[in-house]
Amino acid sequence: MNSLMGKYLKINLSSSVIADEKTPVEWVELYTGQKGLGSRILMENFDPATDPLSPENKVVITTSVMGGTIVSCSSKLAMTTKSPLSGTISDGSVGGHTGAELKYTGYDAVEIIGKAEKLSYLYITDKKVEIRDAAFLKGLGTFAVDAKLKEEIGDDELKVLAIGPAGENLVPYACISSEKYRQLGRGGIAAVMGSKNLKAIAIRGKLGVSVKDIEGLMKYSKEVTTRDEVTSDDNEIYDLGTSCLVDYSQESGLLPTRNFQEGRFEDAEKINGQSFKDVRKNKKGCFSCGIACGNYVVDGAASVEGPEYESIVLGGSSLGIGNREKVIEFNSICDDLGLDTISAGGTIAYMMEMTEKGLHDFGIKFGEIDAVIDMLTKIANRDGIGDEAALGSKALSGKYGGEDYAIQVKGLELPGYDPRGSWSMGIAYVTAPRGGCHMSAYPIAEEAWGELDPFSFEGKGKLVADMQNSQFCKFSMGVCDFWPINDETLGRLFELSYGGAWPADKIYKTGERIFNLQRMFNIMAGFDRKEDKLPGRFHKELLKAGPPKDIAYTKEAFDKAMDEYYSYRGWDELGRPTIEKLEELGIEKKFIEAYKKAL
Amino acid sequence: MPLKFDLSKCTGCKLCQLACSASHYDVFNPEKARLKMIHDYNDDGIKIASKSCIFCKKCEKVCPEGAISNNGKWMIVDPEKCIGCNTCVTNCPTKIIFLNEKKSTICDLCGGEPKCIEWCPKGVISLRQKKGAAV
Ligand code: SF4
Repeated sequence: MNSLMGKYLKINLSSSVIADEKTPVEWVELYTGQKGLGSRILMENFDPATDPLSPENKVVITTSVMGGTIVSCSSKLAMTTKSPLSGTISDGSVGGHTGAELKYTGYDAVEIIGKAEKLSYLYITDKKVEIRDAAFLKGLGTFAVDAKLKEEIGDDELKVLAIGPAGENLVPYACISSEKYRQLGRGGIAAVMGSKNLKAIAIRGKLGVSVKDIEGLMKYSKEVTTRDEVTSDDNEIYDLGTSCLVDYSQESGLLPTRNFQEGRFEDAEKINGQSFKDVRKNKKGCFSCGIACGNYVVDGAASVEGPEYESIVLGGSSLGIGNREKVIEFNSICDDLGLDTISAGGTIAYMMEMTEKGLHDFGIKFGEIDAVIDMLTKIANRDGIGDEAALGSKALSGKYGGEDYAIQVKGLELPGYDPRGSWSMGIAYVTAPRGGCHMSAYPIAEEAWGELDPFSFEGKGKLVADMQNSQFCKFSMGVCDFWPINDETLGRLFELSYGGAWPADKIYKTGERIFNLQRMFNIMAGFDRKEDKLPGRFHKELLKAGPPKDIAYTKEAFDKAMDEYYSYRGWDELGRPTIEKLEELGIEKKFIEAYKKAL
Repeated sequence: MPLKFDLSKCTGCKLCQLACSASHYDVFNPEKARLKMIHDYNDDGIKIASKSCIFCKKCEKVCPEGAISNNGKWMIVDPEKCIGCNTCVTNCPTKIIFLNEKKSTICDLCGGEPKCIEWCPKGVISLRQKKGAAV
């Protein structure tokens, strides 16, 4: 007995064929669940050169092996695809209760390919799986889809993954809302769903999850969550949620302001953790989570669960907007339309800077709150100027110039940390497999907010790679970022849930394997070192306030750090994993063969 | 001696339900918990409601087989006598009784030390003491 459900669901929307497959144990052993298993399922019989919006692309939903158990914050759900925004492999995860719900239907994962003839939704329960007509949901925002499906199916415990008009209209940075207020934000997976005519996935499961050693797991789980202060009310993440980071970034002079032109925002206090706490109505926790970082806030006419730090920055300081109510409104509208707050904000910020610099008139300037709100609806509906903005900052800069001001990596707009204030964040951004993202590694915690020198690359290639390896296994095991769990504890929890021996070095290796698998995918999709680069702004312009003031973040120093990173990873000078490395990691032969051909 | 909830502190994590199903059935399944925490949004924010045995003893009165009794603190089901007729389920005012493997299932306060109380990270749940009883 272990915590795997033992089967995964395969759905072909073109042929309407629905089939149960056994979850291959060898895949779980190599890649565990969630992110890792999702990548593995995506790559099965899949050409990385596939057009992301073609029926051949896959949407893979994965739970985690510890999902549905009592292990704190371990029930996240991942979705993996080839991104229409970056063209890379792209996985995102979402907390809340949906991951556990899917597991309780009896499935470890769901693979969706093909394209439905008409707009449809999936209904997945422990008793049946159906492809149903979604005409009545057409054009609706994600909040309304959630409510309508609960009404239609008549179950308040139904969990809904929904796309909004942005996903239906194939905006390449359209996001998925889960239970209304949790977003699977990045990389445009909602556009892939839209391209498949798939409006929503409604999930309800009533089965249970068994584990290898239930008594041992409960005892150990309690011990380590208490030890790591996961359940402590003094935990800052519990008290303020991620909005606590606004003060940190401001202090460190790396709070993206007016499209990363500055690192300090004059109105930061109006949109910091305390400010949002002042309008907080409730706290909300994800399934099995003792932390409960979620906040439900109401300010004037605006309300949202959040806003999370990244949305505060990309919808606030980076747009020159220091208005709490409007930041909440920005967040809520993006959630409802199904737009990634980071990419939407990043793209609009680029347009504002281009307009202000007189390089191209997009008709929108920093601080113009109402124009921003208006733009979001236009983007989701691809209406007029919104159809341009829907391209994202990279494609827009290809068309209108100003590449240095398109703050993205591989097309994915950057989150809320200026790398000039914490140098290794730059390495993390350019090496994250899905493009400019902060989730593969978070060295800022050790640098700008920790003990290490934020303005030095000394040893940072190794630091970032080590963090990525551990994170990739931790996420694949479904554990949330906010539990600073060590590899040993993670392995022990996994052993008690799933079985086998998972010492710390195996956890690290597993993460390294998954990271390399994703890198292989990208290499086969045509990427290499040349795309591992930051927008020109960071190397050409100096920040003018706070700790990073006047410190140059040179391209030369950065390139040298990248050399170190590749070499530590066992990759060649073009950033490609070597065959020896892949063999050492035990990556399956058939992938190595395909990879060799692509080199 | 029913459970008491301070709902203003509840975050909806369901650790209480997981602890309940684990301690009674060796499985993690919120559906099989003998208490339920239900959360949803309305215009005022997140609404949390609790469902649990209120110790009204109605089930004891309506059971046609005399399978349900109480010890002054919690309800007791005699599985030998229970025929799975569903009468207690349909008559339960809080809709918390359910059948598990065709037998009535009611909160037994884990024999006096409820696991839900032990596992709730936010101190939401406690035991409602009788007036005058020692705490
Ligand atoms: S464990 Fe506590 S906080 Fe979590 S759902 Fe139960 S009562 Fe609410």
